[in-house]
Amino acid sequence: MRLFAIVRREYLERVRSKAFLIGTLLGPLLMAAFMIGPSALMSKQRGKPLRVAVLDATAILRASVEKALSEQRIAGQPRFVVEPPGEGPLEVVRASLRSTVLSGAIDGYLYLPPDALARSAAEYHGKNVSNVMDLGLLDKAVEDALIRFRLSGAGLPEARVQELMRRLELKTIRLSESGEREDAGGSFLLSMILLMTLYTTVAIWGGALMNGVIEEKTSRVVEVMVSSISPSRLLAGKLLGVGAVGLTQFLVWAGFMAGLSFFAAQAAAVSGARLPEIPWAVLVLFVVFFLLGYFLYGAMYAAVGASVNSQQEAQSLVFLVLMPLILAVMCFPMVLASPDSTLSTVLSLVPFWTPLLMFLRASALMPPAWQIALSIVLTLGTIVVLNWAAARIYRVGILMYGKRPGFREILRWIGRA
Amino acid sequence: MTQAAIAIAGVTKGYAGHLAVSDLTLTVPRGSIFGLLGPNGAGKTTTLRMVMNVLGPDSGTIEILGRPADDSARDRIGYMPEERGLYPRMLLEDQLVFFAEMKGTPRAEARRRIPAWLERLGLEDKWRRRRVNELSKGMQRKAQFIATVLHDPEILILDEPMSGLDPVAADGMREALLELSRQGKTLVLSSHQMETVERLCDRVALLDRGEKLLDGSVVEVKRCHGPNSIALAYQGDGAFLGSLPGVIGLTDHGQFAELRLAAGADPQRILGAVAGRLQVRRFEIVEPSLHDIFVAQVTGHAAADA
Repeated sequence: MRLFAIVRREYLERVRSKAFLIGTLLGPLLMAAFMIGPSALMSKQRGKPLRVAVLDATAILRASVEKALSEQRIAGQPRFVVEPPGEGPLEVVRASLRSTVLSGAIDGYLYLPPDALARSAAEYHGKNVSNVMDLGLLDKAVEDALIRFRLSGAGLPEARVQELMRRLELKTIRLSESGEREDAGGSFLLSMILLMTLYTTVAIWGGALMNGVIEEKTSRVVEVMVSSISPSRLLAGKLLGVGAVGLTQFLVWAGFMAGLSFFAAQAAAVSGARLPEIPWAVLVLFVVFFLLGYFLYGAMYAAVGASVNSQQEAQSLVFLVLMPLILAVMCFPMVLASPDSTLSTVLSLVPFWTPLLMFLRASALMPPAWQIALSIVLTLGTIVVLNWAAARIYRVGILMYGKRPGFREILRWIGRA
Repeated sequence: MTQAAIAIAGVTKGYAGHLAVSDLTLTVPRGSIFGLLGPNGAGKTTTLRMVMNVLGPDSGTIEILGRPADDSARDRIGYMPEERGLYPRMLLEDQLVFFAEMKGTPRAEARRRIPAWLERLGLEDKWRRRRVNELSKGMQRKAQFIATVLHDPEILILDEPMSGLDPVAADGMREALLELSRQGKTLVLSSHQMETVERLCDRVALLDRGEKLLDGSVVEVKRCHGPNSIALAYQGDGAFLGSLPGVIGLTDHGQFAELRLAAGADPQRILGAVAGRLQVRRFEIVEPSLHDIFVAQVTGHAAADA
């Protein structure tokens, strides 16, 4: 009953707070801004098309290359504006193009050497040569022009060349037990969003638990509490209460998503656009791995909270706790690239990384059930050990004031009778 | 009812490297108002924590109301720490109900008891639905007291109950404590304020560095630790007072001095010696104050160890 009273207090105090309301409402917005922001910013910056000139040493390719360049489009807009290179001997024109680029009047020029056709070689001279997307387009345009030229040279009629040069349209189809579905990068984005949400919520609610422990310590409430209930049950109550707040937040978000996908389905019927669907198994695993991550890291957060006197003092120890989580996030691209490799499998079975990496694998390519089961069992075992140790640190730490104990002394508390 | 409220027998508790409490034996009789005194680091907090079963003793036994100090015993105790001890952002009423619930009182019952206590301590009803950090220091102290007594404990352990209270509020608190005592509750006060203890407590114990230096009823302690002393109000230069024959201790405030006398010293001879040199406004043979006994005992204890 008293355990329940603690759970209820922790739960109500947090759910009623403004921070919870703001975090729950703003969280998805921030996440969306974080995901969509950079690419939106990039497309906006891309802005004006590039002004380029073609300097042709072969004297025969210029027209084809210029035509190919002017046909390149991004989002329906021409990407290149072809400028005349100017008249005169090659070296003179080259020198004047150089100064035009440096003055900023054009963005760059394309140099086709005398043996361009034989070697399939060209050079782009520009101030900015780091925009991979533009350079890719440039590459494609020149290559197209050269092949076209060779085909025409082999005597093929224009219409036939056009037909042979049809571009490839690569569609990606995601295979799963429930069927096939077209996927235009949505599943990558989804995995990333879910992973970041998992990381953020584990870190936020673990941190909230820690701050709660510190608050009880600085307000001396804990002294009253331990005269009513054993420290380990007090800790258990706090862990459960804060964890329930995290679940509540997910419930709210799930509600948002259900509403959103309802409208999205209606919009899709009109526009043909599709949102990636989240399979039920992934949603269930999301909650399972959140709970595993929360109880694993929460135990460590609570131990840190009990060992220090203020939030400032907690900073360096918090970093130690967060370290494995951050490492897991850094492994994200590697695991997503080959979710079923031996390395990914091994990493995802390490209990400290299981909550993030096993979930990531599940969202990308469902691993065999035995691996998921094994990872859950291993993590549960670690949770039991960590919570046992945390309870012992907590029991000693909450009644300690004054100088912050060193890491080694904190470990010594575990062994104290 | 002969059994003690708290019976501590031969209790020792050590932390890494030093003994916090060493072979302590102490009895708090039922219904008494007991003052637990001692300088910082004397082992008061450790002792109280063992009584509340927060810490276990290394050796020795502790009994609460005739039964071992276990989890069920601590529901019969109310504990008020020296400062704060309330959740700053929680509504006062929710908080009081919560703490009572933690001691096993049903929520509805706790809620029913709150208005009477608020009235008794002079807290207006409007504060019931306010956050604790909106309350003044004195009001917080009162709130804390209500949180301690709301579950109707038989034993109350209060750390510095009068600190942070203005004189009016301190009187109110004293009234409340005496009222609880009249109801048969046992009160243990841990305090540095000797005056509070002297006026309120009927028994005291003095701890220093883990050891009990003295223990007994206030009257007994004073009798055993007289030689009598003399309270002297005077005008003139009192510098010589400490060197008079038979005077072994002096607390001189300039116009008021307290002279402690050696065993067998004759107060009349001192009166004679003083009367010739100072303008005496008051001369009174008194028992020593608890403050003096406290200081003498603790410094004596330190000297004996050195």
